[in-house]
Amino acid sequence: MARRRVDFGHLLVSFILLCAASLPALAQDRGTIIAEICSGDFGAQQSALGQLAAAGMSEDSSDATWARRIVEAFEGRELRCGNGVALITTEDGAVQAASMEPSDVDAETLAPPSVNLRLRATAASAAAILRLFIEEDAANRLSAANYIDRRREAATAPILSAALERENDAEVRAVLSTLRASLLLEDPDPANRIAAVEAIAQDATLRNRTTIAEAMRDESDADVLAAGDAAIASIDRMLQVGKILSTLYSGASYASVLFLAALGLAIIFGLMGVINLAQGELIMVGAYAAWFTQEAIRTALPALLDYYLIIAIPISFMAAALVGLLMEVIVIRRLYDRPLMTLLATWAISLLLINTVRVTIGSQNLEFHQPYYVSGGFPLVGDFIMTSNRLFAIVVAICACVTVVVLLRRSLFGMNIRAVTQNRAMAGAAGIDTRRTDMMAFSLGSGLAGLAGLALSPLYNVNPGMGTGFIVDSFMVVVLGGVGSLIGAALAAIGIGQINVIVEPIYGAVAAKVFVLLLVIVFIQWRPEGLFAPKGRR
Amino acid sequence: MSAAEVQTASGAQAIQIDGLRVVFGDFVAIPQLSFIARYGEVHGVIGPNGAGKTTMLDVITGKTRPQGGHVRLDNRIDLIGMDEPAIALAGVGRKFQKPSVFEALSVRDNLETALRLKPRSILAEIRHWSDPRRAERVTEVMDEIGLARLADKPAGILAHGQKQWLEIGMLLMQRPKLLMLDEPVAGMTEEETRHTADLVRRLRSPDRAVLVIEHDMAFVEEIADRVTVLHEGTPIFEGRMADARHNAQVRSVYLGR
Amino acid sequence: MASDTFAERHRLPLLSRIVVATLIALVVAVPLLGGPLAGSAAGLSPYMANIIGQIATFALLALALDLVWGYGGILSLGHGLFFAAGGYLIAMHMLKAGYVFGGVTPDLMTFMGWSELPVHWAFFESFPYALLMIVLVPGLLAFLYGYVSFRSRVSGVYFAIITQALTYVAMLMMFRNDTGFGGNNGMTGFTTLLGQDIGGHAMVVGLASASVLALLVAFIGCSALLRSPFGKLLVAIRDDEARLRFLGYDTLWPKLAAWCLSGILAAIAGALYVPQVGIINPRLLSPELSIEIAVWVALGGRGALSGAVIGAAIISALKFWLTGFVPEAWPFILALVVLVVVTLLPNGLLDLKPQVLWRGRRSGKRGMIE
Repeated sequence: MARRRVDFGHLLVSFILLCAASLPALAQDRGTIIAEICSGDFGAQQSALGQLAAAGMSEDSSDATWARRIVEAFEGRELRCGNGVALITTEDGAVQAASMEPSDVDAETLAPPSVNLRLRATAASAAAILRLFIEEDAANRLSAANYIDRRREAATAPILSAALERENDAEVRAVLSTLRASLLLEDPDPANRIAAVEAIAQDATLRNRTTIAEAMRDESDADVLAAGDAAIASIDRMLQVGKILSTLYSGASYASVLFLAALGLAIIFGLMGVINLAQGELIMVGAYAAWFTQEAIRTALPALLDYYLIIAIPISFMAAALVGLLMEVIVIRRLYDRPLMTLLATWAISLLLINTVRVTIGSQNLEFHQPYYVSGGFPLVGDFIMTSNRLFAIVVAICACVTVVVLLRRSLFGMNIRAVTQNRAMAGAAGIDTRRTDMMAFSLGSGLAGLAGLALSPLYNVNPGMGTGFIVDSFMVVVLGGVGSLIGAALAAIGIGQINVIVEPIYGAVAAKVFVLLLVIVFIQWRPEGLFAPKGRR
Repeated sequence: MSAAEVQTASGAQAIQIDGLRVVFGDFVAIPQLSFIARYGEVHGVIGPNGAGKTTMLDVITGKTRPQGGHVRLDNRIDLIGMDEPAIALAGVGRKFQKPSVFEALSVRDNLETALRLKPRSILAEIRHWSDPRRAERVTEVMDEIGLARLADKPAGILAHGQKQWLEIGMLLMQRPKLLMLDEPVAGMTEEETRHTADLVRRLRSPDRAVLVIEHDMAFVEEIADRVTVLHEGTPIFEGRMADARHNAQVRSVYLGR
Repeated sequence: MASDTFAERHRLPLLSRIVVATLIALVVAVPLLGGPLAGSAAGLSPYMANIIGQIATFALLALALDLVWGYGGILSLGHGLFFAAGGYLIAMHMLKAGYVFGGVTPDLMTFMGWSELPVHWAFFESFPYALLMIVLVPGLLAFLYGYVSFRSRVSGVYFAIITQALTYVAMLMMFRNDTGFGGNNGMTGFTTLLGQDIGGHAMVVGLASASVLALLVAFIGCSALLRSPFGKLLVAIRDDEARLRFLGYDTLWPKLAAWCLSGILAAIAGALYVPQVGIINPRLLSPELSIEIAVWVALGGRGALSGAVIGAAIISALKFWLTGFVPEAWPFILALVVLVVVTLLPNGLLDLKPQVLWRGRRSGKRGMIE
């Protein structure tokens, strides 16, 4: 049951390798290794196998290739020794084991060295180690690494360190690190074990925690146990931090999408008193526009496929803005000053949009290619990985927010919007074309929704009905944040987004929605006009 | 009838405002206001826009909460903290700047609604809706304001001036102790203004204080016994209208800005 | 022209009289043509009777909404909540009665793995109890939400949005199996109601007749209520709540009363609807359905109860007819109808009838308020 095999062979191999670790080349020349492996002495054979395994570390890559050949020949009984000669039999005759030159010695006169179970195991392990160094295909290296995990006979920390240094595939690295860590934890010297524990604890992941915890189960040295406890405690702290960050991060990405969706809603409502029930569908238009961009690029300029998301930014915006513009011109401007009728009208439009898409394109979820910049992520603290797809959404939201703020504060257009929002009649009297402002503002609000659709396409399912999932939450944001207020919308979106991701894992998605709703109801008892009430006497 | 010919009212205090302070965000609408209106008199409150006149009314009727000060009815009922219906039932009637009548209801319905025979309970009120006293009072008031021939027309079709009178009529239904008129002749023709002046003069009664906020100086001179001039939330003059005209500060506030 | 409306103060306007007459005719015709005269040329097939019954329940639902929206100025985009509440309650009764008296185990119990029904199902086998619940539960729901909102002066668009959210959240909750109301399968498999077989001919006609009768009674009742002082107060609240408060009325209570009444009427409509379709599921709580109710009322004309009834009847009839052969087209048609009505006929179909002058429409800018 003890996982530590304190046997002579292993110790010897380790010792030799620790000595040999500093040497980049083969510890001994090929001839000596061959001699050892051919000797009937099991100890020497083990040692030879160990050196062969270590050949992977050699700077001269031909060493590794050669070593692999020898090990495989040994396993396959193709290695034959005797009379000071060692041969490897091949289909085309025999070659000399040390030099790989053809030989005309008759292989039949020689016999393969004797093996026992242990030697066989060590040989297999060594072969796997060499594959680790030699194989080009990451999948092969991964299977080699997994094999070594099970059969560690020839594995040592230095070899694994060397392999790790050269390895760049994440999965293989993961296996190798854990393996190396557990080997280090079995080092006979308690001081080394303590050092190992502390070194492992530097990388605070759940995997490492488990590794240390399991090693401590068999541990008897008090100092090492103390180090183990301390290490676990420190990892736990970091994991906790990572978990909190992870939650905040998820919340931030959801909030970003909500914010983009709600921002447009807030501007339109603040400006024209229009509650746009088709906002969700404008989000959908943006997402579909992104998809169309992807398809177009795939056909016309496939080399640029990875950049479709970037290219789609203006396209999604424009598409949704255009649809919004059409809505405004054809329907909404006739319903000026009748907010409840516009509500019904926008609902009808949303119905039209959903069903048109359903009938023309279909109800299935759209497939989106994930470009490299929205795949994977940046591991930060603990098990928290800052995933790139969420980062994309957050970045888009921030950029949009900044742009809109600048637009509203610094541009003529923005000033017109603010004037008309605060006092339509006076703005008109002052010469502002309120109709045009309405059109442009509505387009802006719709375009922002389109951006939301783009930002969420790497994160959520895209189908004709996707908007309905966001509309209620967007409304909550506007109600909570106060009409027409950017800061209010931002704060409300962040608040609602965070609450959703905090409550959801504990009580479920429905409970999260219930919670948010109750919160909003309670909040507007206290402040009926939301966080930031529209200024001015009503 | 000019203000001079009216016997100076020295009735009891109907409303006392003491040290009132109202702040909206950063804006101090009323820094410190003390004010008294007496029974039996028509008291005008004038001042440039933004002087705090409407705010003062808002505080009295409970629409706005002040940051400091007291408002008392009859020197005993503290109005601050009471809600609007309660203040109204205590005897405070307010006519808004914009005529607010119930446009979808008839003139008669408007007046009927305005009478609270059973102030404690709406249910009781509904049950006593057909009480003959109600109809009697309605007829009385309709005659007073001159809208009897339009009794069954929806209030929405009334002319602007007629709506104002209807609103005054609605307030009269309840025989308020304190009747506050916010710009009663705004938007009225000459003819209508005269009619309104008549109406307001007839409103004077020993058990009623009438407060009138107006811009129209001639109108105020016609109807008011005393006048308070507000400027940036502070009274800068109190006395007769004629004297107000000659007051240097008042002139500079109105003309010199 | 305006004088007509008020001279006839104690008589219903023309359109209302037409509606009442039609309903009376139906109350008589449906049981006759569906029952003894079913075989004759003018006979009513169970299918048609069922359709009429369903339409009647929708009309009642629209009436309930119009009460608060058209006359109280309170728009609810979540009336489906009350409708569904009534439906769920009657479903509970039917399943419980079937279980207790008829020994029929509800599917619900089987797939939830219950050996007995949970505590909140107690007494539901009794029809009077169920009826009481149908009044109390939605009434209480309405009271709670109304009290909390009206007290803090939440109104208009904010109020409407929150009613949407409420029904949406209720839908999500009901979709879950663990809330104990059938989850996304809902409840079905009703066998009897009041001792009669649910699917039977007599029951179908009976339910349809009951629905039409309920609609008639509600219509007359509400019309009377709205012409009463209470109705005037309600209209006054709609047009100028502040003014009414300054006249000494605590407007919270009339609003709350109207709102609760509306909720209860909607629940009764739901309780009549579910036995006629044989199933209830959370889709009834979807925000879309609740908006559709507002569309019925807006189409017909918000300011008159007859408008709401007519609007609901027309759209439902259209829907039944069209989804029979072009189901795909229905959402498009509905959307287009709404757009046309909303842009061209601000007061709904009533705009097409100049004789029945819509009170205050051309007079004053506050005739029919948003």
